[in-house]
Amino acid sequence: MSDTPIYILERTFDAPRELVWRTFTESELLSHWYGPGVETVIHELNVTPGGVWLNEMKMGENSYYQRAEYLEVEAPGRLVWLHSTADAEWNIADNPMMPNWPKVLMTVVTFEENDGKTNMRLTWEPHESSPEEIEVFSQAIAGLDQGWGKGMEMLAELLESLQSG
Amino acid sequence: MTEAHLDHVFAALADPTRRAILVRLSKGSATVGDIAKPFEMSQPAISKHLKVLENAGLIERGVDRQMRPATLNAAPMQAAANWLEEFRQFWEGSFDQLDQLLRAMKDTQKRKDTSS
Repeated sequence: MSDTPIYILERTFDAPRELVWRTFTESELLSHWYGPGVETVIHELNVTPGGVWLNEMKMGENSYYQRAEYLEVEAPGRLVWLHSTADAEWNIADNPMMPNWPKVLMTVVTFEENDGKTNMRLTWEPHESSPEEIEVFSQAIAGLDQGWGKGMEMLAELLESLQSG
Repeated sequence: MTEAHLDHVFAALADPTRRAILVRLSKGSATVGDIAKPFEMSQPAISKHLKVLENAGLIERGVDRQMRPATLNAAPMQAAANWLEEFRQFWEGSFDQLDQLLRAMKDTQKRKDTSS
């Protein structure tokens, strides 16, 4: 489907890509950076096609679980996995915050090295999602990419005028 | 407004007519007739848009059966904006931490290289 919305995130890391690759594929390193300001516990990490990454993030009393299943693993340049929210038994579950958020996001990460630095490109797209999930995802990434463009500008003005009025 | 309604908010905000209606209502409550005037749209068409906005919790309708003036409720918009921001911040925040980790790893490697 050509009109599937895709979210793209690009970032350059000041390190060779072998090093960046390790931070995505070694449990101790991955748990160190994944999840800002939360305690991340990796219950399983098997970075091979068909292998899984079972991730728990602890936020106070609560835990948020994610399940990833790897589809493609080509060191040190390309990593593809299916990313989803999970329940405590690691079954794929609805996002507690957003019931119509796509249950499974196909995540593709590529690393290209240039002059000792690594350009990372990360994309997400809904995987086998319902039309409602795709719609919600489209709306969200339209917002992430352009601050909702004109619509968001209008809303920002609106919110401002409400606060000042 | 619970967080479970956020997806309705996104869907409601996706339409330019509905966003224009919200802007109109930010200037004060209005009836369907008032709202329809500046749009080249029938009242039933406007009513349909109002229904979507109401289901998303973005407006409230008066109890007066005849007039049912609509009033803006901006709180869900703020919640929607926050959700997007959280999603973005999760990854940006994670990659900030990765930057630091890579720097530390490179330093360790350098020390190893010079000591050997």
